[in-house]
Amino acid sequence: MKLSLLMAISFLIFMIALFTGPNMISPFHMNDVQKEILLSIRLPRVVVAALMGAALGASGAVLQGILKNPLADPYILGISSGSALAAAFGLLSGYYLFGKFTIPLSAFAGAAIVSILVGAFGWKRGRLLPERLLLAGVGLSFLFYAVLMLLISISSYEGIRRAVLWIFGDLSIADWSLIPYGLFFIAAGLFISIARAKALNALMLGDELAHSIGFSVHKERLLLFISVALMTSASVSLGGTIGFIGLLIPHIMRFMIGADNKLLIPVSAVCGGAFLCIADLIGRSVMPPMEIPSGIITAIIGSPYFLYLLRKRDVLGE
Amino acid sequence: MHISRLLFLHILLILILLSTISIVSAQAPERIISLAPNITEILFAMDMGDEIVGVTSFCDYPDEAKRKTKVGGISNPSLEAVVSLRPDIVVMTTDGNPKEFEERLHSLEIKTYVFRARKLSELPDGIREMGAALGVKQKADALATKIESTINGFTVTHQPSPVTHHRSREKVLFIIWPEPLIVAGPATEIDDAITLLGGDNIASKARTSYPGYSVEEIIRQSPDVIFIGKGHKDMKEMSGGLLKKIASVPAVKNGHVFFLSDSLYRLGPRVVSGIEEMAAYLR
Repeated sequence: MKLSLLMAISFLIFMIALFTGPNMISPFHMNDVQKEILLSIRLPRVVVAALMGAALGASGAVLQGILKNPLADPYILGISSGSALAAAFGLLSGYYLFGKFTIPLSAFAGAAIVSILVGAFGWKRGRLLPERLLLAGVGLSFLFYAVLMLLISISSYEGIRRAVLWIFGDLSIADWSLIPYGLFFIAAGLFISIARAKALNALMLGDELAHSIGFSVHKERLLLFISVALMTSASVSLGGTIGFIGLLIPHIMRFMIGADNKLLIPVSAVCGGAFLCIADLIGRSVMPPMEIPSGIITAIIGSPYFLYLLRKRDVLGE
Repeated sequence: MHISRLLFLHILLILILLSTISIVSAQAPERIISLAPNITEILFAMDMGDEIVGVTSFCDYPDEAKRKTKVGGISNPSLEAVVSLRPDIVVMTTDGNPKEFEERLHSLEIKTYVFRARKLSELPDGIREMGAALGVKQKADALATKIESTINGFTVTHQPSPVTHHRSREKVLFIIWPEPLIVAGPATEIDDAITLLGGDNIASKARTSYPGYSVEEIIRQSPDVIFIGKGHKDMKEMSGGLLKKIASVPAVKNGHVFFLSDSLYRLGPRVVSGIEEMAAYLR
């Protein structure tokens, strides 16, 4: 019941995001310009928002499980700062190498490299250690942000400032061209994480217990980490880094439907997608034609609700 | 394999499109969107104000520009706003508009023209080229010639003559904002104007165009003349604290601190009055 309600609301949000905005579009009679806006601008934008939100919501749920830390989110591993830095280098290099794919490609490469790096730092005696992963992520994150800020303050190329916009998520020029690639990686990550959800449930009980009920703890943790890296990298390359979804959505969903990852991961994905659609809708509607980056909106509406839950209910399950 | 070939074709197609796009037909467009304040000013100066259907929220000159429909900022214009105005052409600049936005417009089959002038010396030809692309060649020529003759006029009068050659050039600093201290650095119209007028911009070796500058550095370089540009607050009041700190430099000691307008802030038709204004204060 609760589940179908959540799905229905998410679908409704998706539709609202498509037809409303600074200018309403009636689905029943559209002129040519409105049709073009709907199909070539809004629809890809809403799809990108849904994909990114889904990737972030699901990877947040997985990470909080494998790191056994309620504060974990996909960006705490340094993936956001690393990809922002890579994107900035992409901006600097101009567009000669890969045309309009330069920025997304370099962001994806950056996110992937950082994931591997964090994985390597977190790896000891043939396994991934949660605390090491977390600390490596925090350390690398500081380093990359510092280098990015250095680059922005000494570069004479004005276009680099766009990297700043990108840190808070920029869906304004989303188009169809990237969606197939993003969909592929995000679907792959979702598939892995949902397939291994049972193992994640066991991991959350503790390594020994998980081992005793027959899961290979290290292998499972690595697989789940890979799924997170895939989803987060794809999400970042689609539209920059958007905070709070990965942290908050899984907590809120855990409160609503319980902590079974078999259900939590897909539901976090759907609701994460819907949440980013709303945030983007608000960002482009409150003071048109100015657009407020979605990352700012997610934080502004997400954190008070989270704090309310924290006071009211025991979301951390302690 | 298939995907990568598709990607390659995609890029090739874009490159071909790009190369053809600059050859815009010389027929005058009727619905123009300007994505930068200096472009808006140039369009108005070429009597194309009526054809402008959209501008950025920074386009505030001339006054009529404020009444045009806004399509967002310079670095983040709204795609939806641009498309809904059904422009014949969108005029962009390399100085601030994102390249991705241009490509996104092309994918929606909206024509663009990119204004590439970045320096004072490139402005007249930049205007001519833009005028030709927008079908107003004669008006563009007239405007460009006016700017050119101003520039040339000062080149003759203000270059150090052989007699005064031994005398060093006046050291100049142009302050954009006093606290935090932002000055006009290299690759700006202001720097070009100072050089044109025979001055020496002490910030011309900074790494960025509008660098944050240190007060210490001003004292070390001791400029002979300090200009303070117009901002959205009372600049005399704003810069009081800074001028007190640098009271020992020649410019402040000798009262050579001058408050200017914002005419030189944009690479457009108003640079003429901006240069003249500045020239009045340089020897």
